[in-house]
Amino acid sequence: MWVYEKKLLYPVKVDTCNPKLARYLMEQYGGADGELAAALRYMNQRYTVPDKVIGVLNDIATEEFSHLEMIATMIYKLTKDATPEQLVEAGLGAHFVNHGHDLFYENAGNVPFTATYIQAKGDPIADLYEDIAAEEKARATYQWIIDVSDDTSLNDSLRFLRERENVHSLRFRESVEILKEERDRKKFF
Amino acid sequence: MNPAFEEERALMLQLQEADFVVVELTLYTDTHPDDQDALDQWREAIKRASKIRHQYESRYGPLSLASIPTEQAIEAGWRWNQTPWPWQR
Ligand SMILES: [Fe+2]
Repeated sequence: MWVYEKKLLYPVKVDTCNPKLARYLMEQYGGADGELAAALRYMNQRYTVPDKVIGVLNDIATEEFSHLEMIATMIYKLTKDATPEQLVEAGLGAHFVNHGHDLFYENAGNVPFTATYIQAKGDPIADLYEDIAAEEKARATYQWIIDVSDDTSLNDSLRFLRERENVHSLRFRESVEILKEERDRKKFF
Repeated sequence: MNPAFEEERALMLQLQEADFVVVELTLYTDTHPDDQDALDQWREAIKRASKIRHQYESRYGPLSLASIPTEQAIEAGWRWNQTPWPWQR
Protein backbone atom coordinates (compact mmCIF):
# COMPACT_ATOMS: atom_id res chain seq x y z
CA MET A 1 0.00 0.00 0.00
CA TRP A 2 0.97 3.64 -0.14
CA VAL A 3 0.72 6.36 2.48
CA TYR A 4 0.21 9.88 1.19
CA GLU A 5 2.69 12.48 2.33
CA LYS A 6 1.69 16.12 2.07
CA LYS A 7 4.83 17.35 0.35
CA LEU A 8 6.42 17.37 -3.09
CA LEU A 9 9.55 15.40 -3.89
CA TYR A 10 11.16 18.67 -5.06
CA PRO A 11 9.77 22.22 -4.91
CA VAL A 12 7.79 23.52 -7.90
CA LYS A 13 7.60 27.26 -8.53
CA VAL A 14 6.48 29.06 -11.67
CA ASP A 15 7.21 32.67 -12.67
CA THR A 16 4.00 33.47 -14.56
CA CYS A 17 0.74 32.06 -15.87
CA ASN A 18 1.78 30.30 -19.09
CA PRO A 19 -0.79 27.89 -20.59
CA LYS A 20 1.36 27.18 -23.63
CA LEU A 21 4.10 25.77 -21.45
CA ALA A 22 1.45 23.80 -19.56
CA ARG A 23 0.37 22.27 -22.84
CA TYR A 24 3.93 21.12 -23.59
CA LEU A 25 4.18 19.64 -20.09
CA MET A 26 1.13 17.47 -20.77
CA GLU A 27 3.48 15.31 -22.84
CA GLN A 28 5.10 14.33 -19.53
CA TYR A 29 1.73 13.97 -17.80
CA GLY A 30 -0.28 11.73 -20.13
CA GLY A 31 2.13 11.10 -23.01
CA ALA A 32 3.73 7.83 -24.15
CA ASP A 33 6.99 8.46 -22.28
CA GLY A 34 5.48 10.56 -19.52
CA GLU A 35 5.44 10.03 -15.78
CA LEU A 36 2.10 8.20 -15.65
CA ALA A 37 3.26 5.70 -18.28
CA ALA A 38 6.55 5.23 -16.41
CA ALA A 39 4.90 4.69 -13.03
CA LEU A 40 2.35 2.20 -14.39
CA ARG A 41 4.94 0.38 -16.53
CA TYR A 42 7.32 -0.36 -13.64
CA MET A 43 4.57 -1.01 -11.13
CA ASN A 44 3.14 -3.68 -13.43
CA GLN A 45 6.52 -5.30 -14.11
CA ARG A 46 7.57 -5.71 -10.50
CA TYR A 47 5.26 -8.69 -9.80
CA THR A 48 6.94 -11.10 -12.18
CA VAL A 49 10.60 -10.04 -12.48
CA PRO A 50 13.39 -11.99 -10.73
CA ASP A 51 13.71 -11.09 -7.03
CA LYS A 52 16.98 -9.22 -7.48
CA VAL A 53 15.35 -6.44 -9.51
CA ILE A 54 11.97 -6.14 -7.75
CA GLY A 55 13.32 -3.40 -5.47
CA VAL A 56 14.54 -1.18 -8.26
CA LEU A 57 11.20 -1.43 -10.14
CA ASN A 58 9.14 -0.91 -6.99
CA ASP A 59 11.18 2.09 -5.86
CA ILE A 60 11.47 3.81 -9.24
CA ALA A 61 7.71 3.30 -9.83
CA THR A 62 7.04 5.01 -6.51
CA GLU A 63 9.36 7.88 -7.40
CA GLU A 64 7.59 8.27 -10.77
CA PHE A 65 4.31 8.89 -8.95
CA SER A 66 5.99 11.75 -7.11
CA HIS A 67 7.19 13.09 -10.47
CA LEU A 68 3.61 12.86 -11.78
CA GLU A 69 2.51 15.00 -8.84
CA MET A 70 5.23 17.55 -9.65
CA ILE A 71 4.14 17.75 -13.32
CA ALA A 72 0.49 18.10 -12.26
CA THR A 73 1.51 20.91 -9.91
CA MET A 74 3.32 22.67 -12.77
CA ILE A 75 0.35 22.38 -15.13
CA TYR A 76 -2.05 23.50 -12.41
CA LYS A 77 0.05 26.54 -11.51
CA LEU A 78 0.64 27.52 -15.14
CA THR A 79 -3.08 27.40 -16.05
CA LYS A 80 -5.09 28.19 -12.91
CA ASP A 81 -5.35 31.93 -13.65
CA ALA A 82 -5.65 31.62 -17.42
CA THR A 83 -8.75 33.01 -19.13
CA PRO A 84 -10.56 30.88 -21.73
CA GLU A 85 -9.11 33.22 -24.39
CA GLN A 86 -5.57 32.60 -23.15
CA LEU A 87 -6.19 28.84 -23.17
CA VAL A 88 -7.47 28.98 -26.75
CA GLU A 89 -4.46 31.03 -27.77
CA ALA A 90 -2.15 28.42 -26.20
CA GLY A 91 -3.79 25.63 -28.20
CA LEU A 92 -5.81 24.40 -25.22
CA GLY A 93 -9.22 25.36 -26.62
CA ALA A 94 -10.23 21.75 -27.24
CA HIS A 95 -8.98 20.84 -23.79
CA PHE A 96 -10.98 23.67 -22.23
CA VAL A 97 -14.31 22.82 -23.85
CA ASN A 98 -13.95 19.20 -22.73
CA HIS A 99 -12.33 19.59 -19.30
CA GLY A 100 -12.52 23.23 -18.22
CA HIS A 101 -9.62 23.95 -15.89
CA ASP A 102 -9.31 20.29 -14.87
CA LEU A 103 -6.16 18.36 -15.67
CA PHE A 104 -6.51 15.38 -17.98
CA TYR A 105 -4.27 12.44 -18.84
CA GLU A 106 -3.44 13.39 -22.40
CA ASN A 107 -0.33 14.37 -24.33
CA ALA A 108 0.71 17.76 -25.73
CA GLY A 109 -1.35 17.04 -28.86
CA ASN A 110 -4.57 16.31 -26.87
CA VAL A 111 -4.32 12.53 -27.44
CA PRO A 112 -5.72 10.73 -24.38
CA PHE A 113 -3.48 8.36 -22.42
CA THR A 114 -3.70 4.72 -23.42
CA ALA A 115 -2.42 1.49 -21.86
CA THR A 116 -0.94 0.59 -25.24
CA TYR A 117 1.96 2.94 -24.37
CA ILE A 118 3.10 0.23 -21.98
CA GLN A 119 4.59 -3.11 -22.97
CA ALA A 120 4.70 -6.23 -20.81
CA LYS A 121 6.58 -8.96 -22.67
CA GLY A 122 7.06 -11.55 -19.95
CA ASP A 123 10.80 -11.29 -20.55
CA PRO A 124 12.65 -9.25 -17.93
CA ILE A 125 15.55 -8.31 -20.21
CA ALA A 126 13.19 -7.14 -22.97
CA ASP A 127 11.11 -5.20 -20.42
CA LEU A 128 14.17 -3.57 -18.86
CA TYR A 129 15.45 -2.46 -22.26
CA GLU A 130 12.07 -0.81 -22.82
CA ASP A 131 12.43 0.88 -19.43
CA ILE A 132 15.87 2.21 -20.35
CA ALA A 133 14.51 3.57 -23.65
CA ALA A 134 11.55 5.14 -21.85
CA GLU A 135 13.87 6.92 -19.40
CA GLU A 136 16.07 8.22 -22.23
CA LYS A 137 13.03 9.44 -24.16
CA ALA A 138 11.67 11.18 -21.05
CA ARG A 139 15.07 12.79 -20.51
CA ALA A 140 15.08 14.06 -24.11
CA THR A 141 11.53 15.43 -23.75
CA TYR A 142 12.52 17.33 -20.60
CA GLN A 143 15.44 18.81 -22.50
CA TRP A 144 13.21 19.98 -25.36
CA ILE A 145 10.77 21.55 -22.92
CA ILE A 146 13.61 23.35 -21.11
CA ASP A 147 14.86 24.59 -24.49
CA VAL A 148 11.54 26.29 -25.30
CA SER A 149 10.79 27.53 -21.76
CA ASP A 150 11.88 30.91 -20.42
CA ASP A 151 10.39 30.32 -16.96
CA THR A 152 13.54 30.17 -14.82
CA SER A 153 11.79 28.88 -11.68
CA LEU A 154 10.08 26.11 -13.60
CA ASN A 155 13.28 25.20 -15.45
CA ASP A 156 14.98 24.48 -12.14
CA SER A 157 12.40 21.79 -11.35
CA LEU A 158 12.54 20.48 -14.92
CA ARG A 159 16.32 20.09 -14.70
CA PHE A 160 15.87 18.09 -11.51
CA LEU A 161 13.42 15.77 -13.31
CA ARG A 162 15.73 15.47 -16.32
CA GLU A 163 18.57 14.35 -14.04
CA ARG A 164 16.33 11.77 -12.37
CA GLU A 165 15.67 10.17 -15.76
CA ASN A 166 19.44 9.80 -16.17
CA VAL A 167 19.75 8.10 -12.80
CA HIS A 168 16.80 5.79 -13.50
CA SER A 169 18.27 4.81 -16.86
CA LEU A 170 21.57 3.97 -15.15
CA ARG A 171 19.86 1.86 -12.45
CA PHE A 172 17.93 -0.06 -15.13
CA ARG A 173 21.12 -0.68 -17.11
CA GLU A 174 22.71 -2.06 -13.94
CA SER A 175 19.63 -4.24 -13.46
CA VAL A 176 20.11 -5.73 -16.93
CA GLU A 177 23.71 -6.62 -15.99
CA ILE A 178 22.53 -8.22 -12.75
CA LEU A 179 20.09 -10.42 -14.68
CA LYS A 180 22.62 -11.33 -17.36
CA GLU A 181 25.13 -12.34 -14.70
CA GLU A 182 22.54 -14.51 -13.02
CA ARG A 183 21.58 -16.10 -16.32
CA ASP A 184 25.21 -16.86 -17.21
CA ARG A 185 25.88 -18.35 -13.79
CA LYS A 186 22.95 -20.73 -14.26
CA LYS A 187 24.35 -21.80 -17.63
CA PHE A 188 27.75 -22.74 -16.22
CA PHE A 189 26.79 -24.56 -13.02
CA MET B 1 6.77 37.06 3.12
CA ASN B 2 5.91 36.63 6.77
CA PRO B 3 8.76 35.21 8.87
CA ALA B 4 6.79 32.27 10.33
CA PHE B 5 5.90 31.21 6.81
CA GLU B 6 9.49 31.54 5.70
CA GLU B 7 10.69 29.41 8.62
CA GLU B 8 8.24 26.68 7.66
CA ARG B 9 9.42 26.85 4.06
CA ALA B 10 13.05 26.53 5.07
CA LEU B 11 12.40 23.47 7.23
CA MET B 12 10.28 21.90 4.48
CA LEU B 13 13.15 22.41 2.05
CA GLN B 14 15.58 20.78 4.50
CA LEU B 15 13.23 17.81 4.75
CA GLN B 16 12.88 17.56 0.97
CA GLU B 17 16.66 17.52 0.68
CA ALA B 18 17.10 14.90 3.41
CA ASP B 19 14.35 12.68 1.98
CA PHE B 20 15.84 12.95 -1.47
CA VAL B 21 19.17 11.58 -0.24
CA VAL B 22 17.24 8.55 1.03
CA VAL B 23 15.45 8.11 -2.31
CA GLU B 24 18.74 8.30 -4.20
CA LEU B 25 20.64 5.91 -1.91
CA THR B 26 17.74 3.45 -1.88
CA LEU B 27 17.89 3.15 -5.67
CA TYR B 28 21.67 2.88 -5.56
CA THR B 29 21.66 0.11 -2.96
CA ASP B 30 18.92 -1.71 -4.91
CA THR B 31 21.48 -2.39 -7.63
CA HIS B 32 24.61 -2.38 -5.39
CA PRO B 33 23.51 -4.64 -2.53
CA ASP B 34 27.11 -5.41 -1.46
CA ASP B 35 28.40 -1.84 -1.29
CA GLN B 36 28.96 -1.53 2.48
CA ASP B 37 29.91 2.12 2.30
CA ALA B 38 26.68 2.97 0.46
CA LEU B 39 24.64 0.91 2.91
CA ASP B 40 26.18 2.83 5.81
CA GLN B 41 25.43 6.16 4.12
CA TRP B 42 21.89 4.98 3.44
CA ARG B 43 21.26 4.15 7.11
CA GLU B 44 22.68 7.53 8.16
CA ALA B 45 20.49 9.29 5.60
CA ILE B 46 17.37 7.58 6.96
CA LYS B 47 18.27 8.68 10.50
CA ARG B 48 18.86 12.25 9.41
CA ALA B 49 15.62 12.47 7.40
CA SER B 50 13.66 10.97 10.26
CA LYS B 51 15.09 13.56 12.68
CA ILE B 52 14.19 16.48 10.42
CA ARG B 53 10.72 15.01 9.74
CA HIS B 54 10.15 14.80 13.48
CA GLN B 55 11.24 18.44 13.88
CA TYR B 56 8.95 19.59 11.08
CA GLU B 57 5.94 17.57 12.16
CA SER B 58 6.14 18.46 15.84
CA ARG B 59 5.99 22.14 14.85
CA TYR B 60 3.65 22.14 11.88
CA GLY B 61 1.71 18.89 12.20
CA PRO B 62 1.88 15.50 10.50
CA LEU B 63 2.70 15.27 6.81
CA SER B 64 1.20 11.80 6.73
CA LEU B 65 -1.16 9.88 8.96
CA ALA B 66 1.70 7.63 9.99
CA SER B 67 2.71 10.35 12.50
CA ILE B 68 1.05 11.37 15.76
CA PRO B 69 -0.06 15.03 15.90
CA THR B 70 1.73 16.83 18.77
CA GLU B 71 -0.07 19.00 21.34
CA GLN B 72 1.77 21.96 19.87
CA ALA B 73 0.46 21.25 16.38
CA ILE B 74 -3.12 20.61 17.57
CA GLU B 75 -3.10 23.86 19.58
CA ALA B 76 -1.81 25.72 16.55
CA GLY B 77 -4.92 24.45 14.74
CA TRP B 78 -3.47 21.63 12.68
CA ARG B 79 -5.99 19.58 10.72
CA TRP B 80 -5.22 16.98 8.05
CA ASN B 81 -7.77 18.42 5.66
CA GLN B 82 -6.35 21.91 5.57
CA THR B 83 -4.60 24.02 2.97
CA PRO B 84 -2.09 24.39 1.59
CA TRP B 85 -1.87 21.07 -0.25
CA PRO B 86 1.46 20.62 -2.00
CA TRP B 87 0.29 22.01 -5.35
CA GLN B 88 -1.12 25.10 -3.60
CA ARG B 89 2.17 26.19 -2.05
FE1 LIG C 1 12.09 8.05 -14.50
